[in-house]
Amino acid sequence: MIIKLIKKELNEYLKTGKFYILLFVFVFFAILSPVTAKFMPEIIKSMSQGISITMPPSTWRDSFVQFSKNLNQIVFIVIVLVFIGSIAEEKNHGTASLVAVKGVDRRKWVVSKFLFQLLFSLVILTIAFFLCFYYAKLLFPDTQFYPAISSTLLFVVYLFFVLSLTIFSSSIGKNLPQSAGIFFAIFIVINILNMLPKVNPYNPMTLSTIESQWIASKVAWGDTIKPIISTLLFSAILIFSGAIYFHKQEL
Amino acid sequence: MLAIKTEGLSKYFNDKKAVDDLNLEVPEGVIFGYLGPNGAGKTTTIRLLLSLAKATKGNAYILGENIRETRSYLSKIGFLPEVPGFYNFFNAREFLHFIADISGMTKPSQKIEEVLETVGLQKERKRIGTYSRGMKQRLGIAQAILSDPPLLILDEPTSALDPEGRKETLDLIASFKGRKTVFFSTHILGDVERICDMVGIIKEGRLMLSDSIENIKKGHSKRTLLIEVDKPKKLMEILQYLSWVESVSILNNNGIMLEVKDLPTAQKELPQIMTKEKILLNKWELMEPTLEDIFLEVVHNDN
Repeated sequence: MIIKLIKKELNEYLKTGKFYILLFVFVFFAILSPVTAKFMPEIIKSMSQGISITMPPSTWRDSFVQFSKNLNQIVFIVIVLVFIGSIAEEKNHGTASLVAVKGVDRRKWVVSKFLFQLLFSLVILTIAFFLCFYYAKLLFPDTQFYPAISSTLLFVVYLFFVLSLTIFSSSIGKNLPQSAGIFFAIFIVINILNMLPKVNPYNPMTLSTIESQWIASKVAWGDTIKPIISTLLFSAILIFSGAIYFHKQEL
Repeated sequence: MLAIKTEGLSKYFNDKKAVDDLNLEVPEGVIFGYLGPNGAGKTTTIRLLLSLAKATKGNAYILGENIRETRSYLSKIGFLPEVPGFYNFFNAREFLHFIADISGMTKPSQKIEEVLETVGLQKERKRIGTYSRGMKQRLGIAQAILSDPPLLILDEPTSALDPEGRKETLDLIASFKGRKTVFFSTHILGDVERICDMVGIIKEGRLMLSDSIENIKKGHSKRTLLIEVDKPKKLMEILQYLSWVESVSILNNNGIMLEVKDLPTAQKELPQIMTKEKILLNKWELMEPTLEDIFLEVVHNDN
């Protein structure tokens, strides 16, 4: 059943153009990041208008720091906007009840949405990573694969959390604005909690900080275990809670 | 066996009793019309039966399964919502393939073509998003009957259709008689009178009446007779003093409208009187109440 539901999701994303929006955003920033890193010192110099600015020469690390920042900011927003209505909008349009009365297990329906979003994002992220790596290697021949892929793998874990939070919010919310409100409320609370030193190592937000540090080769895998495990656990709780809530919800 | 049985089924929204102590029995194979004014609780009843809403109390059994214990019975139901929601990016064929997929149908292509032909959408290639309300309603019916379920629950199936579409839909529903159980809500009384075997009337969440149309009409008979004779004045003079007569009036030159207290006595004594008085009978008609009369009586009667 999950495969059938995932197939429908893929159809939807292809036919509604959501697939191309996400692909474009990922690819755009994958190419833009190394190019920006390479030419940013020259761009700044050309804009300085007589003021003497001394900047260190850019390295391949700047490409991936830029890529990581873009993933965590603009791409993150696009992902949330595209996926946040996945369940809430179906409730709103009556398609959720139409599927539910066909005897489809609602928990499986929620899980299929999450799996599709995860797989879909992973495929696009993989394309984006290799594009970014290709251009970085082209512009900075000494680009290293291991720190770059490690940083991106950490983003995958973070993405796992973001997607589970969108699924949870979409399961709870009655419509798109309500789901978005729930998402950002939880997201803000988690960000605030990140300021507490005792919570920090277990907070999913820590992962986005570690991503940049990894590129600078300052992190060992051992330091990432706590945030990775807690993020995966937290994500699993979110998906489980969303599925149970949706199973009992009135449609 | 009963297709639908509810025992004290209730749904409360704070102080509002949307459905209150509903005891409904729908035998298998019948076409059951569920009537009620707007806001009476028809759609809430359907939502409860489909587990789209949770009952405050009471129980319901669909095809023998307790709906509070399982949802597996849902695969035996075809449901048409009042305003069907569709994936607008699909065309009708793609949508039905998806429905067939999640309904567990194998090799559904031929069945999909049959169903599309039944609802008159076989030539449609456009996306569902471009459909008119009537076309969406027809596609809604198609998805409901696609897997050939033994029970159809239809919420206002003819409400968005033009007269031709309405006739076709009613003919289609009527064709299921004896083969499937059809439970459909409506407030178009003519539709119910035309195709239903049984009727339930709900008012303010409470079931006021549930029986076969024949029994309901018998029970709500006005006991009014329309008689045409050659000597109406003479007959009226005789009738007005009889104990079983409620009222009598002359309609036109030969017609008499007679309301009786006791119909069997009237049916027995009237011919005897006319024979004795040598009055020639031209026409005899027992005035039957229409479903509309009964509906209005039930809905407007506070008791």
